[in-house]
Amino acid sequence: MMPSRSGGRSGSRDRDGKPSQRKKFFVRRRKVCKFCAEKLEYVDWKDVKLLQSFIPERGKILPRRISGTCALHQRKLQTAIKRARFVALLPYATD
Amino acid sequence: MRLYDIVVLVSPDLTDEDAQKTLGDYRKILADGGAEFVKDESWGRRRLAFPIGRKRDAFYHLFQVKAEPALVSETERRLKLSDQIVRHLAVRADEELKRAAKMAVRIAKKQAKRPPRPPAAPEAAAPRPAPPEMAGEMPERSES
Repeated sequence: MMPSRSGGRSGSRDRDGKPSQRKKFFVRRRKVCKFCAEKLEYVDWKDVKLLQSFIPERGKILPRRISGTCALHQRKLQTAIKRARFVALLPYATD
Repeated sequence: MRLYDIVVLVSPDLTDEDAQKTLGDYRKILADGGAEFVKDESWGRRRLAFPIGRKRDAFYHLFQVKAEPALVSETERRLKLSDQIVRHLAVRADEELKRAAKMAVRIAKKQAKRPPRPPAAPEAAAPRPAPPEMAGEMPERSES
């Protein structure tokens, strides 16, 4: 009767499971692409403030897996960051 | 005529006036070649994210111009020759902007088509809505 493995993934959320069992797990907030959400179609490479939010401490480009950016916008973001780096608006690496 | 973003980094060893003067030269080259200035803004003296040629900061200036490709390449050639220019970058901007505008229209259209969410919980007695027809339509969940 008791399931040995309960679905702790976010995919089980829409199923009508037992709430007491689900509460144990951390409910992850669904990540949304920032550019889609704010309807920013053009990623401006001169907008340092915006780009900086996708640059962690080390200076690398924040992966999609973490930021939740959609593929299309990640690609645009990538070129924007690379352009900004060339004109020394953003670092290539920091240590 | 195409739209270009041209960012120029002028050496910090120059005084403010000298930096403006060198920028003026390039402005003149662009203007003489028939360029149309959309933006012509100075970002002032900024710290570089990393040193370029022993320099730690530079005067940034942005020209956003509508110009012929030949004129831009000529301007770039001259920027490259100059010692006072630490670095420059000229990038075409119109294609991206055009695509962005198109996308914005598409998103607006899509949103207009989608019916608004029912405000409250639907009544249990209400008949089940017909299943959405998928025939012939584009996949709706392709991007989110």
